[in-house]
Amino acid sequence: MSVGGFWAMGGYARYVWPCFILAALVFAWNLWAARRYHAAARLRARRTLAMAASEKR
Amino acid sequence: MWTWFYKLASPPHVYSLAATFAPWFLGLAALLLGYGVVDGLAFAPPDYQQGDAFRIIYVHAPGAWMSTFIYTTMAVAGAIGLIWRIKVGHAVAAACAPIGASFTVLALATGSLWGKPMWGTYWAWDPRLTSELILLFLYVGVMSLRSAFEDAARGDRAAALLAIVGVVNVPIIHYSVVWWNSLHQGATVAKLGKPSMDAAMLWPLLSMFLGFMLFFGGVLCLRLQGEVLNRERQSNWVRQALKS
Repeated sequence: MSVGGFWAMGGYARYVWPCFILAALVFAWNLWAARRYHAAARLRARRTLAMAASEKR
Repeated sequence: MWTWFYKLASPPHVYSLAATFAPWFLGLAALLLGYGVVDGLAFAPPDYQQGDAFRIIYVHAPGAWMSTFIYTTMAVAGAIGLIWRIKVGHAVAAACAPIGASFTVLALATGSLWGKPMWGTYWAWDPRLTSELILLFLYVGVMSLRSAFEDAARGDRAAALLAIVGVVNVPIIHYSVVWWNSLHQGATVAKLGKPSMDAAMLWPLLSMFLGFMLFFGGVLCLRLQGEVLNRERQSNWVRQALKS
């Protein structure tokens, strides 16, 4: 298959490529959102612990 | 013998397990997805009826499978939290919901893009499509219900109940193509007996299925760490874990 033929996907390029781009976006979003959620939870936990420590003092 | 199982109810144990497994799951998922995409797009032969449009199957079918698999996982985890009052169960259920919703959106959108050249329409009120759309509403409902309560424990219980009730939709999605007249094709891979696909098309598809599963495992581990930290942030073990 030629490079042009590969990108053309037998005339179905406008259906096939958006599906794969969308899948890549879903994967990227999941990874980004999960990492962000974990980082935010760590920050919140650190703040809670810091507040508890300052109250003790 | 059952010690390892009981340990799964312990938040610090689950937090440390999730931290250990996340990079392995994500690394293996990247390998399998990379192979599946390259083989599926460049080397698998075109379908004799659908031509190259059939390649949408490599993201649509695993996405649709994940949407129901994650929902079932969420309902089982919610039931464990509800029945045995295991907090980790609710944490798993809460971590599953946004991941499952995103895969349901993927399944619906890629199905719609596949439907246009094959059926002549982006959307039809077909039993399979409609039940999958209901699944998306269930995910949104579960997430909304959980965050609607000021008391997190009540939110967890309400969301778990809705998830358990909604699990009835999972067999409906699966058997909709058998029970009713449907535009959607029947089972191709998960058929009893032999799959009706050529091996050159099947291997990249199986690799994508496994890659999607492992990716879910990795992202679930990351989200679960956040969920557990949020729920346990006043515990002593969290202090120790954050110091190390």
